[in-house]
Amino acid sequence: MATAWFSAPAPVTRRVRAYFAPVNRAMQLPVLFDPSQQGRFSLDAPPAPWISLGWIQEFVRKPASKSAPLLTGIPAAPLEQIRETVQAQVSVSFLSWTKLTMALATGSQHMNLLAPATGAALAADGAQAAPAVVPQSGSTSTAIVLAASDAAKFTAGSIIAVDADYTGQTGYVGSPVAGAYLRQAVADVDYIRRITFNVALISQVSATGLTLADPLPGGVPVAGTKVQSIAGFVDREGGSFFQEWSALFVMEGSQGERIVFHYPRLQSICGAEEAMSPLNAKNQNGHSRVLLKGQFMALPVTDPLDGEKVVCYRSFLPAANALV
Amino acid sequence: MQNAKDSFYMALRARLIAINPERTILLRGAVRPGILVEEAEAPLSQFPSDVFVLRWLGMAADLDLASTMIAEQCEVAYQTSGTQSFGGLDRGRALSAMDKELLQLLQPFHTPKLNYSVTPTATMLTQVFWDEPVFAPMVTQRDRLSRSASVLVYSYQEQGE
Repeated sequence: MATAWFSAPAPVTRRVRAYFAPVNRAMQLPVLFDPSQQGRFSLDAPPAPWISLGWIQEFVRKPASKSAPLLTGIPAAPLEQIRETVQAQVSVSFLSWTKLTMALATGSQHMNLLAPATGAALAADGAQAAPAVVPQSGSTSTAIVLAASDAAKFTAGSIIAVDADYTGQTGYVGSPVAGAYLRQAVADVDYIRRITFNVALISQVSATGLTLADPLPGGVPVAGTKVQSIAGFVDREGGSFFQEWSALFVMEGSQGERIVFHYPRLQSICGAEEAMSPLNAKNQNGHSRVLLKGQFMALPVTDPLDGEKVVCYRSFLPAANALV
Repeated sequence: MQNAKDSFYMALRARLIAINPERTILLRGAVRPGILVEEAEAPLSQFPSDVFVLRWLGMAADLDLASTMIAEQCEVAYQTSGTQSFGGLDRGRALSAMDKELLQLLQPFHTPKLNYSVTPTATMLTQVFWDEPVFAPMVTQRDRLSRSASVLVYSYQEQGE
């Protein structure tokens, strides 16, 4: 059967959507994205383990790979080109402040401000924390079962961190998201809960436990995890740890076409930075939105197809009936 | 171009039925959803209250593309005097409700392009899409509050158009 067609101009898009997924730092395993099977995913329901960061602004890709001519003969003339370096940079502005966007927009580790113990000494990263409580069996990713006396320590509308006690390990700490790298052991039993990404908002407190507004990113709490309240987040300028994530950036065209940029490994390359965006362009002294700026360096992976080192995959899924 | 204008209007009309089926107008003897295209009705000295009136204004074309892109400016005007049961004291709330409805009508910011000049209606190959609306300040005339919003509606010219 014949079909009609049209000549598609360059895609027109209004905005870019971002998704990130944790790289397994210890095993150096990025998260794969297969555009042939997953490319048409619903933008509101990305395939696991991708986490939506919503719409972003000022998405800029900057290729930094360098090539040079291979010169031969007298006088020398280019015989062919060789690629000397494979590198790229990406920068974005995040439109919301969440645990994940803050972490991505800081060059170093990102920490939770654990609710302090009574009378604890002041500390820039947050004081010594109030003791954690142990979830009971039957907990799920959206409901934490607690003893009544423990549940009474939490209030609806507050945030919790759910993770294991720190027991002296070094190297990458945190699973499935490595939130820090420790060269030597620290003395803080709550350290993993300070750097964990397994956080959620409490929507309801009852005598039997906590109901969460969103599922915990880490899923059902495993044995050994504990729960603590957190008051907010803190990050530092400096330090030696770099966030590393797999990233997807999706542009959806006006005709249903889709451009997907898959960076298997992105590392943040600069310290925390914000940009002020006036709500009214005609009044620069009025209210301004504070946008988180993220700048990343793309690190290479070896493509198992042919052994080539690459930093990004760009996929294009054309509109229906568009000439290609 | 006409197909894009028709498709935009019909999309908003269908969305209005879903969002607020009670917003209707009795026009030419028929009860219809409360949205109309000014140029497709008899000339009116005063457009009706509590309905959305679409008015096509500016137009531009980009001829350098593989398919010509047309941008047409649509002004959506609306006004209200509130309800009789509240003596018009709810006119501010009524206008806010229409502001909100218009935002809902415009999302998502695209719709398939259809040809309404044939029977049955034919689905075309491209989509009509538009920008966020730019709202003008509210205007007060005695007991009547009115506002307009401008939307740039884009479409591609297809073969045979």
